[in-house]
Amino acid sequence: MADAPSGSGSGLPPTKAIGSLAKKQSDVTRQGTQKLKFVPTLPTRRKKDEVKPEPTPQALPSASTPERGRGRGRGRGEGRGRGRGRGAPRPELEMTASGPFAMGPALAGNNARRAVPRSNFAPIPIPGAGTALGSSLVRGAAPSLKREGDLKGKGVVAKVQEDEEVYSDPDEGVEIVDMEDVRQMDWMAPESLRKEKRQKKAKKEEATEAIASEQINRANALDLSESEEEEELEDIIEHFAARSDIEPDSTLREEKLYFFQFPSPFPTFISTTTETGDDTGAGEAIPAKDIKPEPGTSKVVSPTKVQIPEPKVDGVIGRLEIYRSGAVKMRLANGILLDVNAATQPSFLQQAVYLDKKEGRLSVLGEVNKRFSVSPDIETLLTAMEDADKAPATVLDGEELIQMDTT
Amino acid sequence: MSQSFAPLHLICKSMEGIDDEIVSVLPIRYSNGHIPNIHIHQFPLLTRPLQAPPSAISSGKRVTARVKPQVHRFEVHVPADSRPEVWNVERTKELGAARAVDDREKNQEPKGKEREGEEPRLSEIRMRSEGIPQRGAHMLGIVRDGQLHLHPISETHQLRPTLTYLDVLSRKNKRTRGGDDSDSDEGPPPDPDEPLPPPVAKKEKKPSGETREVQVTARKAEDKGSGQMQGGLSAARREMLQAIRAEEDEDWQELQFCDVTTVESEEAFESIFSQSDEVLECRTDITAFLRGIHAL
Repeated sequence: MADAPSGSGSGLPPTKAIGSLAKKQSDVTRQGTQKLKFVPTLPTRRKKDEVKPEPTPQALPSASTPERGRGRGRGRGEGRGRGRGRGAPRPELEMTASGPFAMGPALAGNNARRAVPRSNFAPIPIPGAGTALGSSLVRGAAPSLKREGDLKGKGVVAKVQEDEEVYSDPDEGVEIVDMEDVRQMDWMAPESLRKEKRQKKAKKEEATEAIASEQINRANALDLSESEEEEELEDIIEHFAARSDIEPDSTLREEKLYFFQFPSPFPTFISTTTETGDDTGAGEAIPAKDIKPEPGTSKVVSPTKVQIPEPKVDGVIGRLEIYRSGAVKMRLANGILLDVNAATQPSFLQQAVYLDKKEGRLSVLGEVNKRFSVSPDIETLLTAMEDADKAPATVLDGEELIQMDTT
Repeated sequence: MSQSFAPLHLICKSMEGIDDEIVSVLPIRYSNGHIPNIHIHQFPLLTRPLQAPPSAISSGKRVTARVKPQVHRFEVHVPADSRPEVWNVERTKELGAARAVDDREKNQEPKGKEREGEEPRLSEIRMRSEGIPQRGAHMLGIVRDGQLHLHPISETHQLRPTLTYLDVLSRKNKRTRGGDDSDSDEGPPPDPDEPLPPPVAKKEKKPSGETREVQVTARKAEDKGSGQMQGGLSAARREMLQAIRAEEDEDWQELQFCDVTTVESEEAFESIFSQSDEVLECRTDITAFLRGIHAL
């Protein structure tokens, strides 16, 4: 069994030539290959590959076994060497493409990174792109943040406090860059996904506040925590209620843009004043009948006029009510009650733009910060349906023709 | 008043509709003064705003835009970051030439000014809009001075990079490979093979050239078809071709792209707010929503 040719074939064919010269022992087959040894449970493939490149002066298989062991040990040693000095094994970070070609479901709901009103006038931070654009791409010109930490021992300590990764000394010609700092290297650099570091957040903030000198890092930390908080807070109330508390700053545009999705026929509103009366009228043909039962305070305006769709209107149409429970409702005229809920937040950039056809201009109004979906309040809708069921009867009573139909 | 978020039991209570008090009221103001012109543009940008790269800005390039108003097509051109570290100039010329061909085919060559006898370069990323249908009534809402201002959003567009010049390029490559096989550099790999395969490949390639011709003739047939109503083209196909034709026939209108930081944008922003305090009369009942559902 031991010197079966099939065994040698499946065993170590590449070592055949060398083996035939070197091995003269009884454990070598006549063709010079090693005799197949029974190795019970080792995952053999890998090990053999490691043994193979060894010049095999040790003819004894007993000598080759420790060789395998050593090979394994070396592999582990390498790993340890690389890992030395690290705080903790870090999770794998993915790189995402950025720029206009970046598409994909990353960083969902991360609206905070571009809080529009604030970014309206402050330039979007381009870390590392300040003076020497692209200089960080050239080897040798490391990002200043990294260089600082590598050069002075103090910097390393500070970085540990900041929960940053610490690496062993870089080899010559090789520069070690934290995956998370790739973004700061260049304007075109890809984005790295943020790690989950919720539980360390508080600690980090403390640490960063202690080190006031490291301005860059501090700014990063604060930015991160802020955005995470905003992600956690799903309450929509803040968007409407908290506004009044904010001191209006004349230099910054504080107004955020929101996107509302209303149910399909948006209620028709008309102006009751006479000067705008010419271009008002029944916006839709259908609701003309339903208007009749309502209190006719403005019957002065002739509803019979057939006009251009969408007259220009401007005015108050109702109120937004914020409840203690966190519910937000829109109460429009005519007893229309609508529920406002946060909709699915897209992760991509959405801009509200104004197309000025006369001037040939496309003006960006800003980025949409949040989407809301507005739906009819079911209870109100049901009662209104009931009323509507009753109402036609009373209306029809007045109209004799239809009364004759019903009889 | 708003800082005190309700504890859970209160929320549960309100679910039952027992007592839930109003903590804040904002008037809702509505204006539709800009009605066909407020749009939403969606960009495949996840982590950064739409802006020209710093290197492009420093060399005087800006984001530009153009529109075909009849077919509701927008294009936003973002200058590319053409630093040599991140930009392959040779490839740029190649792709730029392809884009020039592509532009010619689509009847959208740049007018005059970019023709300087210089070889065309791919210097910008063109984001082309695709109108997406709106579901429901879309409104832009802005809270200002404790009031919620609403303005209808008329169109929603998704802008994506156009890469049609790659089609041109690959077509060209295919043609050279299929056409003059002896000149192409594919000599070494098929060497061990018999010289039989190349002719076969040629035959395969040529039909692909023919299909292009077919497309051209189809367009011509469409021309005639409008007069004679020739068969052979389905109505849907004709519609599609007509849409393509309509788009290609319409000229681009250059637009000045005003970023959020510009005065123009600021003015536009101010103009969408409702100005009058008049209380508008509502013509619609809440049941209109239910009746508005087409399936019912």
